[in-house]
Amino acid sequence: MSASKTTGGKAIDILRNLPRISLANLRPNPGARKTERRRGRGAHGGNKSGRGHKGERQRGNRPRLGFEGGQTPFYLAIPKYGYNEGHSLRPQYQPLSLRRLQYLIDLGRVDTSQPIDLTQLVNGRGVTVQPLKRDYGVHLVEEGADIFSAKINIEVQRATEGAVAAIERNGGVITTGFYDFRSLTILCKPVPFFLSGQPIPKRMLPGEDMVRYYTGAENRGYLSDPEEVERARQELAQKYGYVLPDISKDELFHMLSIRKDCRQIFFGLAPGWVVNMAERKILKPTDEKLLRYYGS
Amino acid sequence: MAASSLGRRTAMLFGIVKTFSLQRPVLPIISRCGSLFQIATYNPKPLRLNIKDPYIPNKEKEDTPHWQKTDKFDRKLFGRYGSISGVDPVKLWPSPEKLEKLIAEEQEWQPTLEVMLQNIAAKEMEREKKVKAREKLIATNMAKMPKMIEDWRRETRALKMKKREEKARKERLVAEARERFGYALDPRSPKFQEMVQEIEKEEKKKKKLLKSRMKQGDTAPAAPRT
Repeated sequence: MSASKTTGGKAIDILRNLPRISLANLRPNPGARKTERRRGRGAHGGNKSGRGHKGERQRGNRPRLGFEGGQTPFYLAIPKYGYNEGHSLRPQYQPLSLRRLQYLIDLGRVDTSQPIDLTQLVNGRGVTVQPLKRDYGVHLVEEGADIFSAKINIEVQRATEGAVAAIERNGGVITTGFYDFRSLTILCKPVPFFLSGQPIPKRMLPGEDMVRYYTGAENRGYLSDPEEVERARQELAQKYGYVLPDISKDELFHMLSIRKDCRQIFFGLAPGWVVNMAERKILKPTDEKLLRYYGS
Repeated sequence: MAASSLGRRTAMLFGIVKTFSLQRPVLPIISRCGSLFQIATYNPKPLRLNIKDPYIPNKEKEDTPHWQKTDKFDRKLFGRYGSISGVDPVKLWPSPEKLEKLIAEEQEWQPTLEVMLQNIAAKEMEREKKVKAREKLIATNMAKMPKMIEDWRRETRALKMKKREEKARKERLVAEARERFGYALDPRSPKFQEMVQEIEKEEKKKKKLLKSRMKQGDTAPAAPRT
């Protein structure tokens, strides 16, 4: 054994000269794999290979699950009831717990110095939203409300009362906003949209069934009256027994007071603007008709 | 690109440290977060834009596929390559005709918030009206309830009494038949029926007699009075 000059000995030299570990030079540990048993070979050729005598069992062509040999099967015999009616059209919301949000903030995957909306959460790989699978956004749930301790300005699509209380207790602000299918797609994946060269569309208003939720101050809806929201904040503080921090004296007041317009999809970008990624430019329309259309 | 972004990130980091260190010492930040305050920015996939050698289709040529001559494709080209695509930026927005169509469509299909709120209020009113009408109906019916229960009770009681009387009468008849003939007679037999008719006749006679006597009794004491 030749003496090595480095402190780690020969091993560290070898390690330095070896190629990087990749899929190309990895293989299972010796003994981790077991060779497959080959049925019907050797002395047992011509036998039935352990599959029994004739029929569906031997040939492996069993009928489908629930099939009762031609008799009307049980699952078709009992009548259907409307519990799941319209299940394929019901809005889905991906759950986002406060524990997960705190985890994302602690790891720096979500920047609390800026308002947080779905783009930040998706970019930080906090949630996966699939608008094509009838996802309407995220639902902030109160799991981890006891450990949540960040001051944030967040916009979600739904929120439970406990989650709202936990965020406001820490001096943060929460808004619930509706995004239609197209706006949600754009919000989750902005870059492919910008590459399509289209102007940013207007965000559509919620349908009649959701207007109630988003005009409710207790839900911190984006269509509700700000004064009522302030009152609801005080009420919630009383209900949950905490002192509501005064935001107007906060050093982050400017960030905390940023809200989107009800027709706006991105923070800082108005509907009707075109974002060009290649030239890093924003193009704004000047035509009055266009401005009126996108401004309404 | 990686180097530049790394440079940016470190610059930002230093910037943050500097701004924080201006206000208060670095130590509290370290103790608060456990390590330096760092924000892991979104690291997007590199954009494969191919700006150096862009493919701009020739619209005059016949070989060019028809979908590459559309406005949508022009917008895509502009989105990919910017102004070197040679696309007039005016074409990015809907044309006046298209815009009119869009506005008409919006007016037809997307009601404003006020309209929606009005609709909701109307629906709510209607629902409440229905509920109130139902409640009123229930209240009036409930007010009738005690009397109805009392009636029903009386009826059932009367029915029961009637049944009991019937039974007693039958038993009496059977007993009488036994007394008359000396053996138990089947109540369905003609003999028994005859007997029953006889007894009924007798009873009728008795009643008549009683009535006439009552009348007499009524008139007899009345005569001396006048």
